[in-house]
Amino acid sequence: MDKDFASRRRRELIVAAVLALLAALAPLFVKDVYVQNIMVLTLMYAALSQSWNILSGYCGQISLGHALYFGLGAYTTALMFMKFGILPWFGMLSGGVLSALIAMALGYPCFRLRGHYFVIATIVIAEIALLLFQNWDWAGAALGIDIPIRRDSWLTFQFTRSKLPYFYFALVLAAIAWFVTWWLEDSKWGYWWRAVKDNPEAAESLGVVVFNSKMGAAAVSAFLTAIGGSFYAQFVSYIDPESVMGFQFSLLMALPAVLGGIGTLWGPLLGAVILIPLTELTRSYIGGSGRGVDLIVYGSLIVAISLARPQGLVSLFSRAKKVPAR
Amino acid sequence: MTALLETRNITQRFSGLVANSDVSISVGRGEIVGLIGPNGAGKSTLFNLIAGVFRPTEGSIWFDGEDVTALPAAERCQRGVGRTFQVVKSFETMSVIDNVIVGALVRTTVMREARRKAYEVLEFAGLAARAHVLASDLVPAEKRRLEVARALATQPKLLLLDEVLTGLTPTEAQTGVELVRRVRDTGITVLMVEHVMEIVMPLVDRAIVLDLGKVLVQGKPADVVRDPKVITAYLGDRHAVGA
Repeated sequence: MDKDFASRRRRELIVAAVLALLAALAPLFVKDVYVQNIMVLTLMYAALSQSWNILSGYCGQISLGHALYFGLGAYTTALMFMKFGILPWFGMLSGGVLSALIAMALGYPCFRLRGHYFVIATIVIAEIALLLFQNWDWAGAALGIDIPIRRDSWLTFQFTRSKLPYFYFALVLAAIAWFVTWWLEDSKWGYWWRAVKDNPEAAESLGVVVFNSKMGAAAVSAFLTAIGGSFYAQFVSYIDPESVMGFQFSLLMALPAVLGGIGTLWGPLLGAVILIPLTELTRSYIGGSGRGVDLIVYGSLIVAISLARPQGLVSLFSRAKKVPAR
Repeated sequence: MTALLETRNITQRFSGLVANSDVSISVGRGEIVGLIGPNGAGKSTLFNLIAGVFRPTEGSIWFDGEDVTALPAAERCQRGVGRTFQVVKSFETMSVIDNVIVGALVRTTVMREARRKAYEVLEFAGLAARAHVLASDLVPAEKRRLEVARALATQPKLLLLDEVLTGLTPTEAQTGVELVRRVRDTGITVLMVEHVMEIVMPLVDRAIVLDLGKVLVQGKPADVVRDPKVITAYLGDRHAVGA
């Protein structure tokens, strides 16, 4: 009856598996630590953007405050390890659960807001959290936290000698975020989210509980984002409020998805692969005197994309799907 | 047997404006009931109250023997009230089949099952050939049918049709009429709001005429169209004199 659909789904899985395999082999050829560093960041942002895409792309609730969950993940992991000696793996999980709970607590009032007002609320809340952390002495206030360095081990998830363990973790994270999205796409939730985004009133009339759908999307999205934050804390081993909860993270999570194709399965990955290396390269080549040039490049790209391909770059790959003339 | 749907003394005010006042109607199982009346009679308001878009100022709504007055729209759909919108609200960014799957997911969370049901409903509504087209690419008549298909996928006991036949060409309207009949033949009760009298009257078992927020007349279509009160409401006093 719908063989096309089933085979498309299978093809997506195969493509993803091949890509993951190729990525896993990449370190055999790339020995340069600087390039490895860029690869880690690219995969991390692919995972983050994929998580962001669940709430903002599929469910249509544009958040520019995801830095909050990223920071919460980073702080939970770092604080639990430093203060209580709890291994980062548990910290990671706790950070994820905590973020999901906070996302739902914040969603309760915020999901009553629509459009721009919702976006503004997300920005403001993340900024408030940033201020709180900057003044919270127990959590290191504005000075931040130096994560105590132990021996290199998967147990403490610390590696001072090689970037490769981080690379593989980031790869797994990106793969999980992709897979979760893939799985949700063909589930009740996936359909509900797209319906909510497209026309909430019609969705309600078809038995979709709009509010619950948004809450579900927020929880999954925040959980995955926090895992990314925990990873980042381990990766850089020093965090302060500005470096994990600053507004730029919220942007860096949104932009790859927007560039690649918002609300699409491949958009965040494609966007991250283009955007993150570009940012890192412009930053290091133009560097010091040219501070902010990377942002100019960013801005131009986004403007160009939104004018030429509002549906994002993945739309270039889809078989000449007709675009409604508006 | 109790009626499937009953409104008891419904009154709806919008800051001073009375859209429905003391409306008590009932719809029996297996009926096709037409809800008609001139513009501003309060048809759409009553319709939205039954669908659960908002709560009435006074009165209660009973569905399938239960008081559903306080239930939101989504829950009424779960109980078996399906609806279409006067201004079509397709999910424009989704394909036709995906539109219908959203509806089918009320009854099952198994995707395979929902997809199967959706194809079945599209077949029923004559849209199977358009299953993989984006909803925004459908022509208006097809969009109307998609609305009906989507509502049918929720497997309703009562289907509320809001002007699904209005603005169609005679051929399209005839296809629509047949679709409504076939829906009823599957055991679904239909309550439809319509403007086009000639099309509705032969189709419905019973007609309820609203005017100025109140039930003016109800009964067999043949009697209703001849009722002087109805003629007055539609055409004004001058024409009623000769009737």
